[in-house]
Amino acid sequence: MAAIIDIHPKSTHRPRRATSDSLLSRVLIIGAAVGFMSLMFVLPLIIIFQEAFRKGWEGFMEAFDDGATMHAIWLTLKVAAITVPLNTLFGLAAAWCVSRFQFRGKRFLTSLIELPLWVSPVIAGMIYVLLFGAQGLFGPALKEYGIKIIFALPGIVLSTIFVTFTFVARILAPQMEAQGQAEEEAAMTLGANGFQMFWRVTLPKIKWGLLYGIILCNARSMGEFGAVSVVSGHIRNKTNTVPLHIEVLYNEYQFVPAFAVASVLALLALVTLILKTLTTTQRGAA
Amino acid sequence: MSIHIHHISKTFGSFNALKNVDLEVGTGELVALLGPSGSGKTTLLRIIAGLEFADAGTGSIEFHGIDVTNRSAYERKAGFVFQNYALFNHMTVAENIAFGLRVMPRATRPDREDIDKAVTELLRRIALEGYGSRYPSQLSGGQKQRVALARALAVGPQVLLLDEPFGALDAKVRKTLRKWLRQFHNETKVTTLFVTHDQDEAFELADRVVVLHEGDIQQIGSPQQLREHPKNEFVADFLDCVMI
Repeated sequence: MAAIIDIHPKSTHRPRRATSDSLLSRVLIIGAAVGFMSLMFVLPLIIIFQEAFRKGWEGFMEAFDDGATMHAIWLTLKVAAITVPLNTLFGLAAAWCVSRFQFRGKRFLTSLIELPLWVSPVIAGMIYVLLFGAQGLFGPALKEYGIKIIFALPGIVLSTIFVTFTFVARILAPQMEAQGQAEEEAAMTLGANGFQMFWRVTLPKIKWGLLYGIILCNARSMGEFGAVSVVSGHIRNKTNTVPLHIEVLYNEYQFVPAFAVASVLALLALVTLILKTLTTTQRGAA
Repeated sequence: MSIHIHHISKTFGSFNALKNVDLEVGTGELVALLGPSGSGKTTLLRIIAGLEFADAGTGSIEFHGIDVTNRSAYERKAGFVFQNYALFNHMTVAENIAFGLRVMPRATRPDREDIDKAVTELLRRIALEGYGSRYPSQLSGGQKQRVALARALAVGPQVLLLDEPFGALDAKVRKTLRKWLRQFHNETKVTTLFVTHDQDEAFELADRVVVLHEGDIQQIGSPQQLREHPKNEFVADFLDCVMI
């Protein structure tokens, strides 16, 4: 009889893992994180759109009925259209080089790739002014040939390239290193040439990481303020990109147009976030 | 096809992986490169395939009398099978096998139907009929290695190089695949070199065994010759201690 009685009644509470925290600390930690995020990121986002639509849809649309604004948007698209493909190529080359070859100074090159992350963008801009500006190192020579880099599109593109160089390379290098190159070697022994190997074997392996890097690079190149601010000269209808134009509008107390244009950048950020999440999921699944 | 290796040396930094190696492999032979890890056997195989290059100015490699020392891997087209399969994970089994045919220059590339036919035939040969549309991740280790073998064979290589082909497989699968490879070699007579650190495997499969140690060839001979007349202490010791 006694043997039938279960001396270990099934426990009613869920098993607790050794690493899990008490309910109170979990609520506190998650609450703090969510609270901080809403205060720092969500609230400003809401304010941007609120201010942009202060005078309704028409007021919002009016902001874009302005030559200088449209020029700024056009210029930003142009800068991104030049910067992103170039940095995709540079990033691929750098990641390839770092992940596939062993050589002296490799560590130095790896930290050089990260340089844009720890150098202030203003300094990135200053470098180009010091190099190519009127009083700069190559300034007189460039003037002689009538080439204008500072306060013109080339300067903006150069400084944007500097600031956004890191993204593709930094995401791809560790990924390519982890994947190794056995598949590439197999492709070669099967008679694939360099291009076929890259196109049919390497690219499919890294495509989500590459896309992720391109998305981040694009977002940053459209949103960059500091570096571009130094080299652009803020010439309306000429060298003002979207972020610079927003500042100009704001300083002129044109709040609705300023926030309307800002909301376009914010929207870009949201789209980037969604795409980034999608590609991250794909990278995880691959 | 025969392979001639003359005075090949290879250093990685200050490490001498291969020291002045000479080796001849006759047409249709099945030869094992046997040695402990770090003996240079994989390096030698990779140099033959063109995945690694010997130190500049040291020796030469000939495929059937033709100097291929400076040819790249994709020009040499030696069938190579890797220890960890190195299958293209984003392609199906059939696409993997067809890869070598699809990357051929247009002039020599077989048309689509012929490629499909070749793939079906190879799948039958490795006893994986009906697996063509699966992905490598859905296969077991032994199946993966058979696919890797079929992929290497699809382009009709004149030499087959296997780098520890059964190294990652469990004992039972190993044995089956060994028998299968021996039988396959008997049928096709493709010149084959394979790397192993497993003496049993070398002795069971190979016509001749090459014993390597610290980048030097210690002895070359048939399994029987090696067993009966080990040339030096290392060979005797290495064969003995594995046999325990």
